[in-house]
Amino acid sequence: MPEKTSTRSLRVGVCGPVGTGKSSLIALVCRELAAELRLGVVTNDIYTDEDARFLRSAGVLDPDRIRSVETGACPHTAIRDDITANLLMVEDLEADFDPLDVVLVESGGDNLTATFSPALVDTQIFLIDVAGGGDVARKGGPGITRADLLVVNKTDLGPHVGVDPQAMVTDASAVRDGRPVVALSRTDPASVAQLTAWIREQLAAHRGGELTPADPGPMAPHSHADGTEHVHGTGHAHEHTHDAHDHDHAHA
Amino acid sequence: MDRLTPSPLLLMLLADARLPTAGHTQSGQLEPATLDGLGAPDVPDLVRLRLRTVTRVEAASAVVALHHLRAGLDVAEVEAAWAARTPSAAMRATSRQMARALSRLVGRLWPTSPHLGVTGPGASRAVVLAVAADAAALAPHELALLVGYDDVQTVASAALKLLPLDPADVARWVLDALDDVAHLATQVADLTVPAAIPAAGAPQIEAWAEAHAVTTRRLFSA
Repeated sequence: MPEKTSTRSLRVGVCGPVGTGKSSLIALVCRELAAELRLGVVTNDIYTDEDARFLRSAGVLDPDRIRSVETGACPHTAIRDDITANLLMVEDLEADFDPLDVVLVESGGDNLTATFSPALVDTQIFLIDVAGGGDVARKGGPGITRADLLVVNKTDLGPHVGVDPQAMVTDASAVRDGRPVVALSRTDPASVAQLTAWIREQLAAHRGGELTPADPGPMAPHSHADGTEHVHGTGHAHEHTHDAHDHDHAHA
Repeated sequence: MDRLTPSPLLLMLLADARLPTAGHTQSGQLEPATLDGLGAPDVPDLVRLRLRTVTRVEAASAVVALHHLRAGLDVAEVEAAWAARTPSAAMRATSRQMARALSRLVGRLWPTSPHLGVTGPGASRAVVLAVAADAAALAPHELALLVGYDDVQTVASAALKLLPLDPADVARWVLDALDDVAHLATQVADLTVPAAIPAAGAPQIEAWAEAHAVTTRRLFSA
């Protein structure tokens, strides 16, 4: 797990399928919050620095605060199975611009199953978008179901692609057990305010020591022989005790 | 460490590509080589060239560092000897970055190692590998095998990402390179003094490393 220190930044993961708007969301967050918070960005591209270049050219953050990690064509490995390269990059950013408030870590090349290790990020946003089809939210998956925040992006495109964004939000909310969903359009200031408010809340929780990194998956809920059912790593489903068997979960 | 754990298992652990030490970010200069026109049939030759040159330097440095750690000698002299024999600044930077990645894990796996102090910023991968080998109670010969084998697998697995290949053919290349790995290990296993570390450079590999460090569209960091 990331070491807890009072000065360490809040590390926010941004993941979701290719083309759903991860880089745009990060650019939006930087544009909205750069005057208020000290930010850094780490990108994980298949080809190293496409997203980093996009973000630098967006002019929303000092280019030196945007770093890219080479993943050797293994972007999923770099955020989940072997997070070393990302941890080193985040720590370098934190050291070079000490103190930072928030480091945004953007995943690369994702499908619906890719999520961050809770040892790399404190909290994570999963993105889907209306242009990807109205049924994506119903299909579910670890990110849609259990990421700390689900963003249904590009809601302004709904009429053009024949998708009702509100129906996607309803579908997603039905499987998220109360976790938040934001229907986002960068042209809708109210939705942008919802997103930035969530980041401020996460930062406050992190500073207050109340934020425990949760793991969205990819493990599915499963049952134990004693009839209990839980999802690993959700951070709140582990109050039960196993009296008959004592196994060691790698909890967040 | 559990003293009863047989060293072959510890060697396997350290040689396993699934070990979280950022190995997947490395191509052993194969990526810039392919951009410069190196094709699939040339890869086994590149592997052998590395084992005779840059990898031999790293393996020898690691073995000498292991001796220094176990004999209570300062590894600074080994670091200097390694750096003097690694003329590419890009390759030195890569080694130090991979050393940081490995140090992070070594500190977690063997937190009571008395040598974690030499794994700080600026340490070479060779020296941190020696710290891992010491903690795992590996023999110098086993450490040299580890360095050679890891290098072969690094290039081989990167080849599968960069070139049109059948994975079974690449496994065959690795098998065919094992004799060269064994030969390398035999050559360097008994070294104890920094001056004995071979100065075996490979200017073309070094040039590729330097070129890669300043390109923008990379799959691999080196």
